[in-house]
Amino acid sequence: MNMSTNGWRRLIGAAVMAGASMLSVSAALATEITVWCWAPEFNGAAMKAAAEAYAKSNPDVTLNIVDFDKGALEQKLQTQLAAGITTDLPDIVLIEDYGAQKYLQSFPGAFESLTGKVDYSKFAPYKVSLATVGDNTYSLPFDSGATGLFYRTDLLDKAGFKPADLEGITWDRFIEIAKEVEAKTGQKMIDIDINDAGVIRIMLQSAGSWYFNADGSPNIVDNAVLKAALTTYQKILQSGIYKPVSGWNDYTAAFMGGEVASVYTGVWIVGGIKGNQELSGKWGVAPIPKLDGVEGATNFSNLGGSSWYVLASSPNKDAAIDFLNKVWAGDVDFYQKILVGQGAFGTWMPAREGDAYKSADPFFSNQPVWQNFSDWVQKIPGVNYGIFTNEADQAVLAQIPAIQAGGSIEDAIKAIDAQIQQQIQ
Amino acid sequence: MSGTRLARNEQINGWLFIAPSVLLIGIFLVYPILWSLWMSFQVGKGMNFSFGGFTNIIRLTKDPIFQIALTNTLIFLVFQVPIMLTLALLLASALNDPKLKFRGFFRTAIFLPCVTSLVAYSALFRSMFSNEGVVNKTLMAMHIIDQPILWTSDPFWAKVLVISAITWRWTGYNMIFYLAALQNIDRSIYEAAKIDGVPAWARFTQITVPMLKPVILFTSVTSTIGTLQLFDEVFNITEGGPANATMTLSLYIYNLTFRFMPSFGYASTVSYVIVVGVAILSFVQFYLARERSRA
Amino acid sequence: MIARILTRGSLYVLMSLVAFVSVFPFYWMIVGATNTSSDVIRGKPTFGTALFDNIAHFFNLFDVPRVLLNTTIIAVVGTVLTLALSSLAGYGFEMFRSKFRDKLFGLMLTMLSIPFSALMIPLFIMMSQAGLMNTFVGIILPGIASIYIIFYFRQATKAFPSELRDAARIDGLKEWQIFLYVYLPVMRSTYAAATIIVFMANWNNYLWPLIILQSNENKVITLIISSMRSGYNPQFGAVMVAVVLATLPTLFIFFALQRRFVEGLLGSVK
Repeated sequence: MNMSTNGWRRLIGAAVMAGASMLSVSAALATEITVWCWAPEFNGAAMKAAAEAYAKSNPDVTLNIVDFDKGALEQKLQTQLAAGITTDLPDIVLIEDYGAQKYLQSFPGAFESLTGKVDYSKFAPYKVSLATVGDNTYSLPFDSGATGLFYRTDLLDKAGFKPADLEGITWDRFIEIAKEVEAKTGQKMIDIDINDAGVIRIMLQSAGSWYFNADGSPNIVDNAVLKAALTTYQKILQSGIYKPVSGWNDYTAAFMGGEVASVYTGVWIVGGIKGNQELSGKWGVAPIPKLDGVEGATNFSNLGGSSWYVLASSPNKDAAIDFLNKVWAGDVDFYQKILVGQGAFGTWMPAREGDAYKSADPFFSNQPVWQNFSDWVQKIPGVNYGIFTNEADQAVLAQIPAIQAGGSIEDAIKAIDAQIQQQIQ
Repeated sequence: MSGTRLARNEQINGWLFIAPSVLLIGIFLVYPILWSLWMSFQVGKGMNFSFGGFTNIIRLTKDPIFQIALTNTLIFLVFQVPIMLTLALLLASALNDPKLKFRGFFRTAIFLPCVTSLVAYSALFRSMFSNEGVVNKTLMAMHIIDQPILWTSDPFWAKVLVISAITWRWTGYNMIFYLAALQNIDRSIYEAAKIDGVPAWARFTQITVPMLKPVILFTSVTSTIGTLQLFDEVFNITEGGPANATMTLSLYIYNLTFRFMPSFGYASTVSYVIVVGVAILSFVQFYLARERSRA
Repeated sequence: MIARILTRGSLYVLMSLVAFVSVFPFYWMIVGATNTSSDVIRGKPTFGTALFDNIAHFFNLFDVPRVLLNTTIIAVVGTVLTLALSSLAGYGFEMFRSKFRDKLFGLMLTMLSIPFSALMIPLFIMMSQAGLMNTFVGIILPGIASIYIIFYFRQATKAFPSELRDAARIDGLKEWQIFLYVYLPVMRSTYAAATIIVFMANWNNYLWPLIILQSNENKVITLIISSMRSGYNPQFGAVMVAVVLATLPTLFIFFALQRRFVEGLLGSVK
């Protein structure tokens, strides 16, 4: 027994050594700002570009950019904040805007208020308000989720539609156009993954509404916008204008690969669409359709988007704030670079004076895409996402099959309300 | 005199052999379990807790997602575990037959799925079962279906997909245990039974199954636990959808803890539902095994 | 006689079918690694020409050799320790029975049923307080006393002939010597099977390393695959390259140990 115990000890010792050597590597570096982000080719790459831009004037500070997948990052962040142990948190973390209030309100004190340190008047107002609790704003706003209707100019042309025919339309008109496109070209207008409730969120915000009231109470049963959104979605689902797909990969593959004629989504999709250079010059962008007969309905909305947050526990928070301020709230050239490189559409207004933002894009049939988005982003109705958007999304998704089958919208709304009430207690 | 010394030696050795494991289990399992048990009586969001008594248990009875998750988990259990274990046992005994040609090839082929990681195999299954993926293409070419099956958008087929994926991944895994155990059965028993004219099926049910009982018990208990904790596959392949059709208890716990506004107390309560469920089912399985061995 | 040939024939057809279904996804991942991202999604079943682009893309995104080394260290050390401790305990529980320890064992079995997600937060707090975050020890330690593997060894020990132990005792061997020199060699195939199981579990572990590991230098293969899959514009050809690379070592271990299996099987046939 003795001999074997020593054996274990030796093995455990070896393991401890292996681990310890790893620890000392990271401890040896001086001012190192650690950043967590979630898409290596998008926000990760943008952060790397920011690190390069900062390194020119601050060679003594290094950035350690760690990529996770989005779910993994949220899980790590939530685990550590919940455990109340902050030593292993990064200095800067990327959070999707829908989740911002959840983190800020459930973990008060965990994030550093940047009010007074960042000039928020230079950022798109809706990005600022979604990261504000009381008098304090906590984020350095990053990319916009401003929505557009991205369409194939060649296919629409074949069906007899000019770009102007897609401007300022309603969803009903969109369905008519879609039917026409399929009749003339044989291709479906859009693809839909019924496990994704993004379209409901787009529709709600386009009319300045959300699942929750400003005070955080559920706004479901008497929400005319939600009713209109679900009714419209039911029309789309029953019109047969779409190609059903499963999951994000199928979803993006369908329009990127040219199988469907259009997609309505956030501006961050540009990087992906441009990935297929074969279709260069055959794309255009219009504002999304708007809800019919709803007060306050617009053609402008938002899907996703994210912002950088500094952890209050960070020993390097001053360096982190300095970095964010100098690059993400001060470097016009940097913003041109990530717009061209990653298709990352920032929400720092002065960036729009740069060349990349002003130029027309040959990929999008020489439309001034970025100028358009810069205009649209200012017209997005501001809403308070509250702290339970994930829960509400799940409740909506649970009713989609019934809605698709032609079920009563009233019943669906009741069921959504019941589930949300249960989930948020 | 020497009898008591022997007994004392047995005691000392018994403890020495298990001590390292028991110690580690105490630290890394018992403590967190007690913590979690305490949590299951707490209510509140994030880190703001207060004692809630039975509030969480009452919440369970009114929670539609919990009820869906529980039903789904039981459906997976009732269909998947028997299908997989029967298949594994039949394959193992077929492979144990020395007259079967290409045994090495078959054995290797059927083992192979268990070397894939969950992240890898769910990536594979998603792409194979996509709407225009190779599975739909094959089924359509064979005229078994004339429309592609929407594997992850249809509540029924999503369940079928999850069951197929788990069965693909774990059948060979369970077969390993059966094959290893079959080696311990003396071939001559089979030979003798054959000479006596006992047919193959009866040799299977009357020799193989009873001899393998300890291993069958082991695999059925672990598979039951695995299915009651089913998480990886539904998390990676279907994300619990469509419309919660593949939501399981473990995935719901994960959502309550990491995706939603954190309700650790309620999440702990849901996890104790699994604990109680497993305890009952394990007891039943052990009890049945004991009864049969007496008979 | 004809009936027998027919049943034989259908047995071969069935076995071939099962074998095909089992192996096909492996063919699929290799084909995928040679195709472009959009071809992978569209289910192109034939080899393409994008293999080197995919490999280049994958190696550009991550420090792949480092990741593979990390995963190997964790899997090997974890497997050795788990097998050692758990086989000792499984042997101990079965060979030295007492009412109290049997009850303890029963209690441990119920603990097997606690879902890991319920333990993650307390475990994380413990690891963090012990200063084991972002270390390999932190990943390996909680898993090495595996109730599951103890259970497996205990069940397997039931088949260990007690005459062997009695004979060894008469020869004056101490208990640990019996374990080391009698039990261990006899149970070779049990260890081989357990090695496959534990190595796979360690190599493929995802949730716990995700919690413990913090830096890119310490990442394991499952983490980078999942981070590749989730982007806005995932490169599926490169994902398939990663999937193939993640599968090769486990395949290797499997084939290496399977030979042991086969030897054992042939031995028992003779």
